[in-house]
Amino acid sequence: MAQFLEQIINGLVLGGIYALIAVGYTMVYGIIQLINFAHGEIFMFGAYIALMLITVFGIPFWIALPLSMVLCAILGMLIDLIAYRPLRNAPRLSALITAIGVSLALQNLARMIWSARDRQFPPEILPTVFQGQNAFLLPGGATLPYRDVFVILLALVLMIALNRLIHLTKIGKAMRACAQNPVAANLMGIKTNQVIAITFAIGSALGAIAGIMVGVSESVTPTMGYYKGVAAFAAAVLGGIGNVTGAMLGGIIIGVAEVFGAGYISSGYRLAIAYIIMIAVIIIRPSGLFGRSTGHRA
Amino acid sequence: MEGQRDTGLNMKNKLTPKNIILGLFVCFLPLLMYGIDAISLFLSRSDIYLDLPSGDYMLRIIVRAYLYMLLAIGLNIVCGFTGQLDLGYVGFYLIGGYTAGLLMARLGVTYWIALPLAVVNGALWGLLRGAPTLRLTGDYFAIVTFGFAELLFRIVKNEEWLIGGPNGLVRDIPPPAIFGMIFNQNWHNYYHVLILLILVVFVTYRLQHSRVGRAWVAIREDEQAAESMGINVSRYKALAFTVSAAIGALGGGFIAQFQVNISAPFFEFWESIFILCMVVLGGMGSIRGSMIGAAILGSLGEVLRPGFIIPYQFGNARYLIFGIILILLMRFRPGGLTLRKA
Repeated sequence: MAQFLEQIINGLVLGGIYALIAVGYTMVYGIIQLINFAHGEIFMFGAYIALMLITVFGIPFWIALPLSMVLCAILGMLIDLIAYRPLRNAPRLSALITAIGVSLALQNLARMIWSARDRQFPPEILPTVFQGQNAFLLPGGATLPYRDVFVILLALVLMIALNRLIHLTKIGKAMRACAQNPVAANLMGIKTNQVIAITFAIGSALGAIAGIMVGVSESVTPTMGYYKGVAAFAAAVLGGIGNVTGAMLGGIIIGVAEVFGAGYISSGYRLAIAYIIMIAVIIIRPSGLFGRSTGHRA
Repeated sequence: MEGQRDTGLNMKNKLTPKNIILGLFVCFLPLLMYGIDAISLFLSRSDIYLDLPSGDYMLRIIVRAYLYMLLAIGLNIVCGFTGQLDLGYVGFYLIGGYTAGLLMARLGVTYWIALPLAVVNGALWGLLRGAPTLRLTGDYFAIVTFGFAELLFRIVKNEEWLIGGPNGLVRDIPPPAIFGMIFNQNWHNYYHVLILLILVVFVTYRLQHSRVGRAWVAIREDEQAAESMGINVSRYKALAFTVSAAIGALGGGFIAQFQVNISAPFFEFWESIFILCMVVLGGMGSIRGSMIGAAILGSLGEVLRPGFIIPYQFGNARYLIFGIILILLMRFRPGGLTLRKA
């Protein structure tokens, strides 16, 4: 029972992180119909940048966190500006191949700069929330680390904030307009390119936070963006790509499924579970759990 | 001659001096490579030491480059002819490699039976993967192919009973033999892969310039228009997937005996991207382009291996370079090196 409870909590933590990454995929896809493969790499850079800010420059954790988000937002916008914007009117295949190229380049750039080995956030500089031994004791002997509570709450708060941003603010309205019809939105005086850049910035900042959360609870490696990115993408597909609320719920489902699969089937097949869910969703119900059926997507 | 199609069998205007020299060069390349060995041996007698790579090593690189040409041509059928982005081509390479490798190393099946079986198995999986993805296009097709290859990769990585021990290896795959003649030298492999390559080029070329090839291109240009012209889109797409998968498996069967031991890291996702890079570099939809792309990147990949030009600490810098090549190509020359226009 205790194990079951802990598994559920682990699943929720992982799910929260997937949800944070998945909204980045889904928001970009919603507007420019591009699978931004490089999003996983931005997530990885978020973790590395925070780690470098803390260990090399000695910046306190709570300042490094927003700083890393800002830097990643800039990185995301730069990628859009350099790689994707010139291809807006090119065939979709070209943009997709470019996205793969960006992902490949960034991942190996990280490998060159920081080497392929695992890095940990040094425990002594982390705030007390993230120290592993600080935990609530649940009835039945299960432990609930403060860190897990923090990650779940953070993901929840950010998701609600994002949801409000999209539905209540002017920029959110512009985003929704662009997602519905970019040409018409442009004709109505919305600066489409600006909106897309902001979308990239928001998605990248959320990805950076997710990266730091993974960094403090697991470790930082150059391939983390690839592995977590694929699972998060599966979450976006599951929730109906282009649908932000769907991405959040999809993230939770994939996270829990992955943890249970690893715990009760075989840890070697952790990622395979995300792949299987993703393929099944695409083949059986391409619009996802919550997506509206658009008939001809992709 | 008016209206006669180029069927690829009309050799009259193909026997130009350039082509003859190229053909002779390809046929006698191993001799040339061993000639390098002889020259440096000769020079070392007179105390001149040239730091030339050995002929055997060069030949191995060339064999690998030919193998990549073969794979690039196979991938080009799906990516170039039917215009679908296949991100999991390495899956078929894996299937071919493990089918042939396991049959030969575990069951003692001779290579000449194992190779066709590997090809058939690959084609079967191509068809199986193709069936549910027929109506998918664009991104979703790419994602399913990617997931398929990754699943296969996980399986060979995890299933120890299948691939033997914690090393994840199928080891000691015997070399092919005919009547007691064992083909395990590098120059054997050179002619071996050359024959396979010629076979693949011939088949693909004939398909491209037939009813089938024209149907594929029609599907690429506009699926709905093709359908309304009476082309059975599902059937032609399934055929493309099958042929492409069979070629991938053929490459896998060859690599199994060429490498002697095969293990999971051979078939990682980035290998698919590497092959895709070749097709894109050469120009999608052209057999010649795929071969040129594979020749460039196949040898460049070898030159850029860590420790040669790039220092060891920058281990995987070559993938960084490949990524940048993809970005720049799509930006400035989406039709690849060999095509005039996009």
